[in-house]
Amino acid sequence: MELIFQVLVSGLLIGGVYALISVGLNLIFGVVRIINFAHGEVLMLAMYATFWLNKFFGMDPYLSALLVLPAMFFFGVLVQRVIVQPIQEASSNMQIFATVALSLILQNLALIFWKGDFRTIQTSYAMSTLEVMNIIISVPRLVAFLVALVSILSLFSFLKHTFVGKALRAIVEDNTVARLMGIKVERLYLLAFGLGAAFTALGGILLIPFSSVYPTVGVPFTLIAFIVVVLGGLGSMSGTFMAGLFIGVVETFGGTYVSPALKEALYFGIFILVLLVRPQGLFGKGKGTEEIGLK
Amino acid sequence: MSANRWQLLGFILLAAVVAAPVLVDSKFILHMVTLIFFYVAMTSAWNIPVFGGKMSLGHAAFFGIGGYTGAILYVKFGVSPWIGLVAGVAMSLLGGVIMTLPLLRLRGPFFTLASIAFAEVLRMIAIDWRSLTNGSVGLNIPFKPGWANLTFQSGLPFYFISLILAAAVVFVSYRLRHSALGFHLRASASNDEAAQALGVDTRRAHFIGLLWSSGLTGLIGVFYVFFIYVVEPNTMFSIPLFSLQPALNGIIGGIGTIWGPVIGAVIMTPLGEYLRFYLGTIQQGLNFVVYGVVLIVTVNFIPGGIVSLLARLKPSKGSNGPGSPSGAKEVR
Repeated sequence: MELIFQVLVSGLLIGGVYALISVGLNLIFGVVRIINFAHGEVLMLAMYATFWLNKFFGMDPYLSALLVLPAMFFFGVLVQRVIVQPIQEASSNMQIFATVALSLILQNLALIFWKGDFRTIQTSYAMSTLEVMNIIISVPRLVAFLVALVSILSLFSFLKHTFVGKALRAIVEDNTVARLMGIKVERLYLLAFGLGAAFTALGGILLIPFSSVYPTVGVPFTLIAFIVVVLGGLGSMSGTFMAGLFIGVVETFGGTYVSPALKEALYFGIFILVLLVRPQGLFGKGKGTEEIGLK
Repeated sequence: MSANRWQLLGFILLAAVVAAPVLVDSKFILHMVTLIFFYVAMTSAWNIPVFGGKMSLGHAAFFGIGGYTGAILYVKFGVSPWIGLVAGVAMSLLGGVIMTLPLLRLRGPFFTLASIAFAEVLRMIAIDWRSLTNGSVGLNIPFKPGWANLTFQSGLPFYFISLILAAAVVFVSYRLRHSALGFHLRASASNDEAAQALGVDTRRAHFIGLLWSSGLTGLIGVFYVFFIYVVEPNTMFSIPLFSLQPALNGIIGGIGTIWGPVIGAVIMTPLGEYLRFYLGTIQQGLNFVVYGVVLIVTVNFIPGGIVSLLARLKPSKGSNGPGSPSGAKEVR
């Protein structure tokens, strides 16, 4: 019985990070309407940046967020401007090729510059744990969950209460009408991509105290983020959050009780099941599913 | 140069590629040309669902299913590779059904995404199921030359096999594109709702198109395993090698056309091998960076591929030409 609670808590904690990464993807996807196959590579770059800041300057991973997040925001803006904007109107197959190409380039540049080694950061708190009611909680994982939660909540309130946030939501609702209302859509695309990249980068920073970085570290995260977004419903931020937690729990339960090697098979099964039963996602309003091909 | 001369040049080039190993006694050229034919076949098979706008990046799945079936039957159970071919096709058709049925409701990027996931899951299973697949080490085909074992001392038999395979797949894809099925697929690609409104069962068309594609890819997979003597999960189910490469060849040549995949494979295979051997030894990974850049440039400047460049040279003659340049544009 205790094991079940232990696994549940670990699942929820890692699920928070999945939710954060997926919220980043959902923002890009909802606003810019592009499937970003290079999403995991943003995470990879952020993890490497944090790693090197620690290696050369001894900077604490959490502190390095102050440098890495703005950098990754601009990276996101750059990707939108240079790679995505020229093909914004092209067919979705062409968009897939462009972002797949970007992911291929980034992965292999990482391989060239930093080799295929698994790299980890040593911190004083990496192994520290809390014990609550016989359940052992890793401190960096708890920090990751809490920071993810706070960031997602602040994104919610940003989208809900600020003018720019409302403009972003307007674009998600109806791109054309938003444009007609005088919203500078292209500029907000840049913002959305930058923000999405920054949220994903934050996920990478939160992961690195307890996981290693290597050139293809982002690949499973791209997959997970897409599954979470589909599960939670396209354009639904709260749905994404719930679905992130759900996938985290499923992963840890599957890893504990079935086989760690078949985790991905489990996601895929859930993915297919959801698409069959409820293609608009578990929590989604179903908006935009038509256009993007989920019906 | 006029259009006819271009066509003539194309035929001469193709003839040169086909005849090269016979004219020049070089193991390297023989191997390269065989590889080109394998990729021509693979790309053309991958391209069949693209007529209908379904772009898979998980075709390594069928390639791997076919290859593994043939190898396991031969190595573990001593079953003749020729029966393995039939079994490989049957198994990859089964894989096609399993993948296609749930994925049919997905369009565009989500189909692509789910197809990647499908191939990844199979790779995991192939690594995990050690008793059958020998895990990540894989299975070696014992070297016992002879037609019965589909293993040969010289490279020539596989040159002919791959040539026939390539010609057959291109022929099948040509016939399919000009059959009712082909028109249904193309109608679905340009406007699915309109096609359905006209009474076309587009789901059925996609399903059959994907089955052709998965079966052919499985067949190529079995031959390929006996060509390289080894089956191993990280090669057979490799996304960059057997999922991305056909897609890359396709887009360079022109997706959704007959000759695009052929042209793409003929150009990209030697280039890819060159990059891998020369750049790969200088710096591992550099070849994929070059691929990525080529892809982005193609997507931005010639989304219709090389075929669309050639088609600009000739006066419009309808569907007689080597594929329609609008193919890539229509495909959504």
